[in-house]
Amino acid sequence: MAQKKLEKQLNILDYALSSLWRRRMKSLSLLLVFAAVIFLLASFQLVTQALSDKAKQVLAYTPEITLQKMSVGRQEAIPLAYRERLGGIFGIRRVVPRIWGYYFDEVRLANYTVMGMEVGEMPEGARLDTALASGAMPGPGPEEQGKVVIGQSIKKALALEGRTTFSLFRPDLSLKAFEVSGEFSRDTDILTNDLMVMNLAEARDLFALPAGMVTDLCVYVANPKEIDTIARKISEALPAVRVLTRPQIQKTYQVVFGWRSGFGSICLLAALAAFVILAWDKASGLSPEERREIAILKVLGWETSDILAVRFWESVLVSGLACILGMTAAYIHVVYFAASLFRPVLMGWSVLRPELYLVPRLEAGDILLILAFTVIPYLAATVIPAWRSATVPADSALGG
Amino acid sequence: MRPALVFALFLCLLLALEGTLFVDGLRRRKAEAATLAQLAVVTSALGLTDLAVATEARYTRHPAVSDPMAPFMDHPGAIEHFPTGAFWLPPPR
Repeated sequence: MAQKKLEKQLNILDYALSSLWRRRMKSLSLLLVFAAVIFLLASFQLVTQALSDKAKQVLAYTPEITLQKMSVGRQEAIPLAYRERLGGIFGIRRVVPRIWGYYFDEVRLANYTVMGMEVGEMPEGARLDTALASGAMPGPGPEEQGKVVIGQSIKKALALEGRTTFSLFRPDLSLKAFEVSGEFSRDTDILTNDLMVMNLAEARDLFALPAGMVTDLCVYVANPKEIDTIARKISEALPAVRVLTRPQIQKTYQVVFGWRSGFGSICLLAALAAFVILAWDKASGLSPEERREIAILKVLGWETSDILAVRFWESVLVSGLACILGMTAAYIHVVYFAASLFRPVLMGWSVLRPELYLVPRLEAGDILLILAFTVIPYLAATVIPAWRSATVPADSALGG
Repeated sequence: MRPALVFALFLCLLLALEGTLFVDGLRRRKAEAATLAQLAVVTSALGLTDLAVATEARYTRHPAVSDPMAPFMDHPGAIEHFPTGAFWLPPPR
């Protein structure tokens, strides 16, 4: 009995495949458009998920609390003297001052991220040399004057080609000479490609920041469970200071990529518009040829349920295949082509661009989300008109 | 050969492609895990807060330490005009 039912379904599947092959140009164009829409949705989902995952993994080591001074709604330099005012808060293990900012290179139209700090005071500072492709981090002494470690994109932008020296302008347009003492590894490009790290005195000199001022303070606490309590105490002690905690920074990257962003909305709306057009076309009824085919099948003794099964199989084949092809193409696009179609939006006018090595996770939830947006509406949009048509008497469909 | 069998063979071909991608994905994931230690050291030693993906505007280079208002602060009536602003949502505060 079961074998008979299986044989019947296989025969219906054969008929559905033959029917699709008979209308192969139409079926193929539908399959390609369908796959392209799924490719767009899946690519966006995979890119954002891979970036969020990467951020989640690496930002677990970000400073526990970061302090920045705000004035008239903007960030400005913070006095080093604030460090003493934090001395009374129990639970703070260490406060490390830092100068970081942006240097716009007008010749190359590139933005460099400049960081000045005494790396030895930071956690893992002693091991930073292990993350360099070559050279060593500059120390705090005067003999380290002008020494800098640069990211791979900066090396490329400056076209050093064997040279180790270059110059940048101070705000008064006098030149400051630098010597490259090390390069960050290509493996850390996603964090360091546009970085230029030097000691605190050099960064102060480059940006002409007054003595006793820095741009932010990194606060490390003894017990990570007390981060929020200590952050609250710092806010009370220094009301003009913006207090950013590690959980807040991590949370940013869990929501900063999403369907509500302009590009995400465009992807989603494009997919929805495609399906509305498709559903409209299908719901407005079958073509006269399709109605005629159904009528002939009914005259030959096919039941309504058999005709519905054919339409169901056709829809499953087209939508299932489009889903597999679209998602596979999206994976290949993200992993092997580093999401090259999205790069104009993901990186925009950035001159310094990291080499992206994205390895997305394809989870059951993501697959279900894409199926829910694509395959299920398509099945509904094709089976319902087929049912309406299949219930019409054969003689009236044939014009009898 | 019946059409269902041809289709089944085509599905097997796709399955083989998916299997190859899966195995290569596992290899890539292993290589990625090896670089994670380096990324952890860099983040920890430099106190980094953001990924260096979009370097064109300070609020997309460092979204975690930027104000949601930062794109509109350049001058009165300023509009957000960098392309990456379309991809990155403003950070929650």
